[in-house]
Amino acid sequence: MIDSPVITLTPQLRASIACNLAHVRPVAQKLREFLGDQGVPEEDLMSCELAFVEACNNAVLYAPQKAESLPIDVSARCSDGQIEIAIHDHTTGFKLPAIVALPRNENESGRGLFIIRSIMDEITYTPDACGNTMVMIKRRSDSLTTQAHFSREKTEDYSRKLAESEQVISEMAEELSSCYETLSTIFRCGAELGKTNNVITFATSLCNDLLQITESDWYVLRIISEERTRLIPFATSVPGAKLEPLFVPSPGKATTVEMQAAATRRDVWFNTEQPVSQSDPLHQFGSESIGLVHPILFADNLTGTLTVGKSAGRSRFTAAQANIVHTFADFLAIQFVNTQLQEEQLKHKLVSRELEIAKSIQRALLPKTLPQPCGFGLAGYCEFAQTVGGDFYDVVPVSDNSLLLIIADVMGKGIPAAMFAAILRSVLRAAPELNQQPAALLQRVNRLLYEELSEVEMFITAQLAFLDFEKRELIVASAGHCPILLGSPTSQLKAISPDGIPLGILPDANYETHIEQLPRDARLLLYTDGLTDARNISGSFFSEERLLIWFKSVSTEDKTAEELKLSLADAVHQFQGEAAPFDDQTFLILAEQNSARRRNVPENFSR
Amino acid sequence: MKVQTNGDTISISGIKDLGASNANSFRDQVRAAMSDAHKHIEIDLSQAMFLDSCGLGALISLHKATCSRSGLVRLINPTPPVQQILELTRMHRIFEIVKR
Repeated sequence: MIDSPVITLTPQLRASIACNLAHVRPVAQKLREFLGDQGVPEEDLMSCELAFVEACNNAVLYAPQKAESLPIDVSARCSDGQIEIAIHDHTTGFKLPAIVALPRNENESGRGLFIIRSIMDEITYTPDACGNTMVMIKRRSDSLTTQAHFSREKTEDYSRKLAESEQVISEMAEELSSCYETLSTIFRCGAELGKTNNVITFATSLCNDLLQITESDWYVLRIISEERTRLIPFATSVPGAKLEPLFVPSPGKATTVEMQAAATRRDVWFNTEQPVSQSDPLHQFGSESIGLVHPILFADNLTGTLTVGKSAGRSRFTAAQANIVHTFADFLAIQFVNTQLQEEQLKHKLVSRELEIAKSIQRALLPKTLPQPCGFGLAGYCEFAQTVGGDFYDVVPVSDNSLLLIIADVMGKGIPAAMFAAILRSVLRAAPELNQQPAALLQRVNRLLYEELSEVEMFITAQLAFLDFEKRELIVASAGHCPILLGSPTSQLKAISPDGIPLGILPDANYETHIEQLPRDARLLLYTDGLTDARNISGSFFSEERLLIWFKSVSTEDKTAEELKLSLADAVHQFQGEAAPFDDQTFLILAEQNSARRRNVPENFSR
Repeated sequence: MKVQTNGDTISISGIKDLGASNANSFRDQVRAAMSDAHKHIEIDLSQAMFLDSCGLGALISLHKATCSRSGLVRLINPTPPVQQILELTRMHRIFEIVKR
């Protein structure tokens, strides 16, 4: 009996193992080391070690008593292609079955041969007079020969798998190509979105692409009307299709599939089981059409409906195709809203431009310089509000010692108001013979302008004040305008408001004349209601009351017309604070200069 | 090898090899540790690098012992070579294999 293995350190391993289970594993580990040194892959090492152990265990376990003293000779050879392990035992031997079956689960033994058969590639068992030899061959998994061997064995299997894989790849490629087509269309649409202003071209091109991608035959695109109550036909792929506007009903009252989608904000499908009704406009595209109506929404607002249909007999929409319809509908929604915004912007620009023009006209109407009558100062102020136009003032010199003050407020906005202000200014200046008769002048102007004003439902309030400095006389007439304020340090404040209706209300209106003597150191204020209607942030008006308080306070002060203008403008600004002026603010101030100042000004008008 | 008991379960750990040379002694030690109160056997195979048909035989023997008590053998975290033998011999269907 040999207790320890004898190992020959050549590419061939040889060993003798004592007939004892405990001696098997150490040799198995030596085998593993030997094969490892030959570069055998780990998975093969594991198989060889286990097969070796199983074979040696059997050699020990089944050794008859008389053979227990005989060693088990083992050898292993390792080439590039395979590992060959031979075990020479002294058992009574057995017949190696062609197929080794697993024992029943509850059997505690009998699995050794099964394991060897499973993990090794070839086994032979040769009985001999001096013992039996089991040769186990393992083809190295890293050998090209092995791989070739396997590939030969499994060529058919691989061919089949290859064919299957090719089929799968081909299907995937087709799907990928379809996805690519869809994506490229989506990108193209995305690129077009911001560029085009022509919605109909964009929508038609998009829907035609959609038909191709979803393998559909027709589409109907409707958009919501401006008042958001009707679905207007916008585009369709079917020439000559009869499509009328549809009302957007409340849910439950829809009579067509498009109305239903609009009312419920959900997709509505139709097919052979749920066909469109005969009264439905989509019935004209075929009673057995398959398709869906998708409500086009933008920020939860309905902007239209998109219906895509296939002719009878075509395959139904896949989930992917329905998704594409949804995506394209989103694009349409964006384009619709973009276009709407662009139109609104354009409209806004036009309005802004119009206001600019109106303001230019207004500014042009105001006198560049004001005449300064002897002993008097005259100052005019006009601040235009953002949107309202129509205030103007004018000063017409009548003689060396007289002039006509004009202040007017055209009720209206933008260019029409500015135009009427321009006309009024011309008409007022066209009858110099009436300059001294303000009431007659107003009557004439009213007659001339009545027709034009009433046609456009506009009117003008105006106030004329003829001043004769020699006679110290003031003649006032008013067409529904704010009162004129007259004051002085020594006299009572007067608000002069002769009767008269605004210009453009009645064709034959009459205007009252009010004559007043100018007190010493007179102060005169003509203004438009934009001044008293000025509001502060809390909404309070500047009011006539505040104006009167200001006027009283300055009547006693020795200030020039220019100083008074600045004082009033400042008072109104201070009152308004941050609030933007709501209406034009216009006024004319006449201030007689006291004797001390009078010495420093020229005798005649300066113009 | 370490044997611990926890309620109705015996837990075995520290096994490195389970082959012909130690399978019988392993089986006998576990059986000896089992009292009437024990139904289940948990065997930690996370360090076991070798298992042969004799080792399998010992596990099957323990499996039968637990079956008679309406219990089971639970194999914890078997290493890849051990898992391979269990699957090759279809024993993975008999034992409860737990990966923690």
